[in-house]
Amino acid sequence: MNLRRIAIVAQKEWREIVRDRVFLALAFLLPVTWMLVFGYTMVFDVENIPFAVLDFDHTVQGRDFAYRFIDSRYFDFRGYLSDEHQADRLLAGAKLRLVLTIPEHFARDIASGRHAQIATTIDGTFPYRAQTIQAYAEAITRDYSAALQARYIAGRLGVSNERAAVLMQPLRLEVRYLYNQAVRSNWSVAPSLVMLTLMFVPSLLTALVVVREKESGSIFNIYSSTVTRAEFLAGKMLPGVAISFADALLLSALAVYYFGAPFKGELWFYLLATLVYVICTASIGLLVSTLVRSQNAALMIASIIGIIPAIQFSGMINPVALLEGGAWVQAHVFPAMYFENIVLGSYLKGVGGATLWTDLCVLAGYAVVLIALSYLAFHKRQTR
Amino acid sequence: MRRFAVLTVKELKQCSRDLVLVAFTAYSFLAAVYISGTGVTQDLRNAALLVHEGTPTPASRDLLYRFREPYFRRIGTFWSPREGMRRLDDGTAMLLLDIPEDFAETLNRAARTASVQLMVDTSNVTMGYLASDYGERIAATFTQDWSQRVARRSGLDLRTVPSVENASRVWYNPDLNGHWFNAIGQWLTMMTVIALLLPATALVRERERGTVEQLLVAPLTPVQIMLSKATAMTLVNVGGTVLSVYAVMRLAVGVPFAGSAALFFATTALYVFSIAGLGLAIGSFARSSAEVGMLVILIVVPMTALSGTWTAPEAMPTWARYALTISPLYHFIDCAYGILLRGAGIRVLWGSIVALALLCFVGFALAWLRLRGQPG
Repeated sequence: MNLRRIAIVAQKEWREIVRDRVFLALAFLLPVTWMLVFGYTMVFDVENIPFAVLDFDHTVQGRDFAYRFIDSRYFDFRGYLSDEHQADRLLAGAKLRLVLTIPEHFARDIASGRHAQIATTIDGTFPYRAQTIQAYAEAITRDYSAALQARYIAGRLGVSNERAAVLMQPLRLEVRYLYNQAVRSNWSVAPSLVMLTLMFVPSLLTALVVVREKESGSIFNIYSSTVTRAEFLAGKMLPGVAISFADALLLSALAVYYFGAPFKGELWFYLLATLVYVICTASIGLLVSTLVRSQNAALMIASIIGIIPAIQFSGMINPVALLEGGAWVQAHVFPAMYFENIVLGSYLKGVGGATLWTDLCVLAGYAVVLIALSYLAFHKRQTR
Repeated sequence: MRRFAVLTVKELKQCSRDLVLVAFTAYSFLAAVYISGTGVTQDLRNAALLVHEGTPTPASRDLLYRFREPYFRRIGTFWSPREGMRRLDDGTAMLLLDIPEDFAETLNRAARTASVQLMVDTSNVTMGYLASDYGERIAATFTQDWSQRVARRSGLDLRTVPSVENASRVWYNPDLNGHWFNAIGQWLTMMTVIALLLPATALVRERERGTVEQLLVAPLTPVQIMLSKATAMTLVNVGGTVLSVYAVMRLAVGVPFAGSAALFFATTALYVFSIAGLGLAIGSFARSSAEVGMLVILIVVPMTALSGTWTAPEAMPTWARYALTISPLYHFIDCAYGILLRGAGIRVLWGSIVALALLCFVGFALAWLRLRGQPG
């Protein structure tokens, strides 16, 4: 390893990046744009659910009940429907996710002391959302019913309203949301976005470095030069890693200062882990670049490798513990999951190296293996 | 027309000769969809629960007994709040249930409402929500049973007291099987990446090598060049979709096919065509493959993540919802899920289809303007 030769290769690579102004701008613009766009839009909250009411009862009591839904901040009232066909059509066209049906005799049943039944029809296409909608609808109905019963019992047994209310509601579950008290996904998502973005950017920066020279033929200059394989690959990777690490710092600053995500962990550990992660994802790009022969194949593989683990298998949306079979394997094969642990631990949970060192070790091992593979896959003599 | 056909065949041949590309396309349509369709769930399963039981009583036992598998898994007890927090921090527990000392006493005295605390790790937002939903349901059934018993003691049958019940019906996926949703979502993501990236890189490659000059001086209009690239892309993706839908989704995952197959593949073709048009427009702006890669990824990841598969557009801020209407995927999602699961027909979907066609036109018009203005 000759440091000077590495520096020269890196310098040449750096110049190539700097001269392509659009590319250089994108290398910084892309992460920042993503962070801003995703930070506002990646909300997993189930809110503003479009719903409509099918009221067959046409009574004050029926409307009063419907009003509990209309008034809820979770539901977005789109109006009263005229018949069931309209409900069918709007549900099928995804214009509504919930239809509340108040049957005939709703008010009469309540007045005569019977069970009144309402129906909620939910679009089950998106199961997680459907489950949450179901829970909201049940809670609203339950509260309404409990208040109704309490009033009735107070009259029947001759006890105070408070006493009747306690009888109907003897237990309350107080839910406390930790690490993100408001469950506003906004800022709990910001740290994960650092992970997501850094899964793509470094590998895109390095995915073309070798294959570009193969396509244009300038690789022959390298084949015939004194620079060794290791020096060449190291020099090729350095500028990408440097830019990515600068991106990482920028993104972390955005997460903390712009989105207000708390940083509770150990700063030095986090920075070290971020550097290792960036080297990791940059070496994914490098490996792809040494293996394929065309730039478009390299781009496609690098993007698909980025998309697969980063969104679905990192634990950001689906917890890794619940994955099965191939999905579980895929989650463990890619570095995204380990860094997601580090990110969540460092930002939201306030734990440091003592807890997260295993994840860091895996990332480091991953980087070493990838770089070794790239080294083995790159030959200075053309095989074919 | 013949020239157009020749060019289309040339594009197809170019794709099929790149073995790595073929392998990755096959992986995307088959293996990736299979893995998501069988291995990913968004249900609450075995959420690790730690319990603190102030004084063990029949009432607290009854409540605890209800937090059970498959949703919750009791992994033990915690004795101090500190210990509980530590277990949440290192991720070995997801929920803490704290039942106070005077729980049974308060319940029996019925002077005030007893409260039980459930602490939920919401660093994963969706799971946090689901866990608290289930927790609340458990509390509700406990409450109901308890009230019934107390009321009976005072000579009152709660069944004779007026109440409102909710009959909940779930349509299109009654068992809330998450696999259907995941398989379709993964197919949409993969197809979008391929249909956007390949035409864009194909166009830039011709420019980098200089063969685009040849095309431009050949007796071909820019429209023919663009349409042939988009058509080749559409053929590849619709072919992949046929395999993906029939071999993976129907056979392996069991996704129903409620609507019309003809309408489904026709809208898929229209969608791929409009994405390819967008890809060509990007390709006509970029000068190097590296730029194309960046531009495509800049667009494709937000598009696939935000159009309505993984997150719900209705929960987003208003400006984002308006911005999403220029994403072809936003309109196609209604068609894809609509036809496969909801059995929607053209009368329901015509709005989305018109929007797709419009976006398709805009993409091609942009690419056409750029290509026409180039030397040649």
